[in-house]
Amino acid sequence: MSAVPSDLAVQVTRPGVSPQGGAPRPAGRIVSALRSSPSVLLSAAFLVFVVLLALAAPLLVGLVGWGPYDFDKNAIDSDLGGIPRGALGGVSAEHWFGVEPQNGRDIFIRIAFGAQVSLLIAVSATIMSMILGVGLGVLAGYHGGWVDQVISRVMDFLMAFPSLIFMIALLSALPAGNRPVLLVIVLSIFSWPYTARVIRGQTMTLRNREFVEAAVASGANSARIVFREVLPNLRGTIIVLATLAVPGFIGTEAGLSFLGVGVTPPTPSWGQMIATAVGWYAVDPMYFLIPGTFLFLTVLSFTILGDHLRKQFDGRDVA
Amino acid sequence: MVGYLARRLLSALGILLLISLFTYVIFFLLSPDPAVLICGKTCTPDRIDQIRGTLGLDQPFWVQFWDFLRGFFVGRTYGDGASAVSCPAPCLGFSFQTNRSVTEMIETRLPVSATVALGAAVLWLLAGVGAGLLSAVKQGTWWDRGAMMFALGGISLPNYFVALILQYVLVVQMQILPFPSAVPFGEDPVRWFQSYLMPWLVLAFGYAAVYARLVRANVLDTLGENFLRTARAKGLSGRLILRRHALRPSLTPVVTMFGMDFAGLLGGALITETVFGLNGVGKLAADSIAKNDQPVIMGVTLLAAFFVVIGNVIVDITYTFLDPRVRIATR
Amino acid sequence: MTAPAPLLEVKNLTITFPTPGGTVTVVDDLSFAIRDNATLGVVGESGSGKSMTSLAVMGLLPPGGRATGSVLLDGEELLGRSERELRRIRGERVGMVFQDPLSSLNPYYTVGLQIEEAYRAHRGGSRRAARAVVVEALERVRITDPARRADHYPHQFSGGMRQRIMIAMALCLEPRVLIADEPTTALDVTVQAQILDLLRDLQAQTGMAMLFITHDLAVVSQVAQEVLVMRNGSMVEHGSAEQIFSRPREAYTRVLLDAVPRIDDPFGDLRRVSA
Repeated sequence: MSAVPSDLAVQVTRPGVSPQGGAPRPAGRIVSALRSSPSVLLSAAFLVFVVLLALAAPLLVGLVGWGPYDFDKNAIDSDLGGIPRGALGGVSAEHWFGVEPQNGRDIFIRIAFGAQVSLLIAVSATIMSMILGVGLGVLAGYHGGWVDQVISRVMDFLMAFPSLIFMIALLSALPAGNRPVLLVIVLSIFSWPYTARVIRGQTMTLRNREFVEAAVASGANSARIVFREVLPNLRGTIIVLATLAVPGFIGTEAGLSFLGVGVTPPTPSWGQMIATAVGWYAVDPMYFLIPGTFLFLTVLSFTILGDHLRKQFDGRDVA
Repeated sequence: MVGYLARRLLSALGILLLISLFTYVIFFLLSPDPAVLICGKTCTPDRIDQIRGTLGLDQPFWVQFWDFLRGFFVGRTYGDGASAVSCPAPCLGFSFQTNRSVTEMIETRLPVSATVALGAAVLWLLAGVGAGLLSAVKQGTWWDRGAMMFALGGISLPNYFVALILQYVLVVQMQILPFPSAVPFGEDPVRWFQSYLMPWLVLAFGYAAVYARLVRANVLDTLGENFLRTARAKGLSGRLILRRHALRPSLTPVVTMFGMDFAGLLGGALITETVFGLNGVGKLAADSIAKNDQPVIMGVTLLAAFFVVIGNVIVDITYTFLDPRVRIATR
Repeated sequence: MTAPAPLLEVKNLTITFPTPGGTVTVVDDLSFAIRDNATLGVVGESGSGKSMTSLAVMGLLPPGGRATGSVLLDGEELLGRSERELRRIRGERVGMVFQDPLSSLNPYYTVGLQIEEAYRAHRGGSRRAARAVVVEALERVRITDPARRADHYPHQFSGGMRQRIMIAMALCLEPRVLIADEPTTALDVTVQAQILDLLRDLQAQTGMAMLFITHDLAVVSQVAQEVLVMRNGSMVEHGSAEQIFSRPREAYTRVLLDAVPRIDDPFGDLRRVSA
């Protein structure tokens, strides 16, 4: 055992001191972030489970024996207004998470298909809002001048918008069409300014750093500087912002579906399942507890993961 | 200072105009014909034309938008002759569903939303700032871990889920609270408190979590500042250092956040009000959206935007008093 | 007649920090002493442990830091004292001035209040009484119109003025020892000279002992009678300023000396690179 620690060990224990020279290596840091804490490990494991659940949903239909839209009249008690037969909302070997009241649809398989919808929308919205936010943020921060002025004003405008009410109004006014696609578009339009604001600030700082100034002085063109010098240095920030954006979108999508303007029935979504369960919460609490718990754990896991990544990259605690 | 204030208010007005134009365009372009909606199932083409004339729907878009704005600032009259209906300023039109004045509808709902927002704000400031300070001062202890776990829960649990759990436990199982129903304070103060308690708790939990995380991070940042080292080198007591030198820089950003959050809530806590069936502006918004009642949607959207924009101005002005660096710059 | 006992004496000071990879020693077995009216310049590159030494004297090491050995102020041991006792010494008997005056002053409070609280923390009394001390302290560091300037905020002063305020704050209780940790590093050269002048004058007036920490030998040559050169936490060379500058014994001291630009030695920089 060496008594003399390496420089790196000292730096790791002193938050706020970022190692000089060389771009950070996100891949290596992610791995070490995952190893450093059991809560992170559990979160990652749960997310892997949810992703697998979503991907395998069509296969699970065969395994479970129920599709997401199959009614099971035998699992509900029509004399009691259609509440599930048996304890805990009808949990049994046949229906692992019980069934929905009134129609007897299998909750487990609907959770799996709901995961598909939730994750697909959240991840697509994250990708889109990151593309918009990083693109426009870098443009504003790097170019400055009137470009910055225009982009900043649009950002101010969008951030002053009562976005939740407006999203709901917009979604309810829009023709039904392809709901998930509409959701992704609306979610990204109202969220990119929050990414762009951070990216713009960091780009402005980077713009004045020696290595970027050197590249400018040596006559490299702007696109080259942005892709070779600026973006690689923003990698850490982008990864953290994206990781923390996903749970935000999952929550918002569920909220919109809960209010009835998100994913339209019968397509299952966690938020919409909870919304349907509202009418039954007193007699069949399992109906809202199961999708609610999945929603909670998924958001929690992404948040824990994002917090840890941020700590790794910034060397500081979460805000 | 006066010039600064005038500039800020003018730009706020500009943003509000833009938002109303934006909202108007979208509903003008996307919605089904309101005249058909109002007319209902037993409808003749004549009747539809008549309604269009009364509401000015036969006019070009710009005229309609102009009439809307004018109605808001000076009032307007729908139709003419004996059937004329006057709508005094600030006129937001009439609900397609109930024919009531939108301004009036909002006025009757606003106290409920304000009560929800105020009570929740008191709770979340106490809990959030308290938990944040506690965990920063006792960093690394079980207090810290506990407070941060609580905060993680608060930001990860959707508020409608918390609302359902609370209702199930407190109302259905333990039966210690009645179902919330917005009882007026004058009618029965105890019932009033009981009916608002759950909405307050649910809202406050989510916000308190965010505030606790923010306060903790801010205090820890401030504790690392050079001026804190100076304060210690002067021989100040730990309590004075914390109270004077650490708290003010840490809590000033909280003011900004609080202003924006509170302003946002005044425009209606959509989900919470809907879940608990409280007749506030938020529930009005949700109901009008469900029924495609355009004048009401327009009204609540503008109201919410108004609060956010004005809240922004108030926060900026407050800031000039809280942060001396900003104060001098604006003069 | 015996020589007077030193005002501040540091003996075998060792400072360690725990890290996951083991204990790191940032200052190793350092000893020095300063008498009344004298200035000791401690010189070294960043990371040489000179700032940690000054913080250890004040009992202000960052969390986890452990100091062993002995720090004697007027013959009294400071190491191992309780936070309460140390608090009475900080500001009252040992004043401290830091490198970056802007970040070392709280931006939210007037400079008057920040000087006042230092005074009242030790002497108590009314704010009105302390006010006179504040104005006098500002006057002593040659700030014009001190009564009005006391109500201004740190950002309303220039860098040099801010450092004057820091000095006024450190000296408002007339401590016998002043620790100045890179007090001129953040300032430009002309302002640097003014601050050094001020410190010399104040020392002549009060007879205080000064521990002057810097990476810049040129600065040290203007204030210190005695110089201690540090590297990697250990002492390299210790002697009178005259000896260090004219007859440095150690190679490392010569490297540092060569880094000081001189008009008569235009190739100094080149030599340093090859050293």
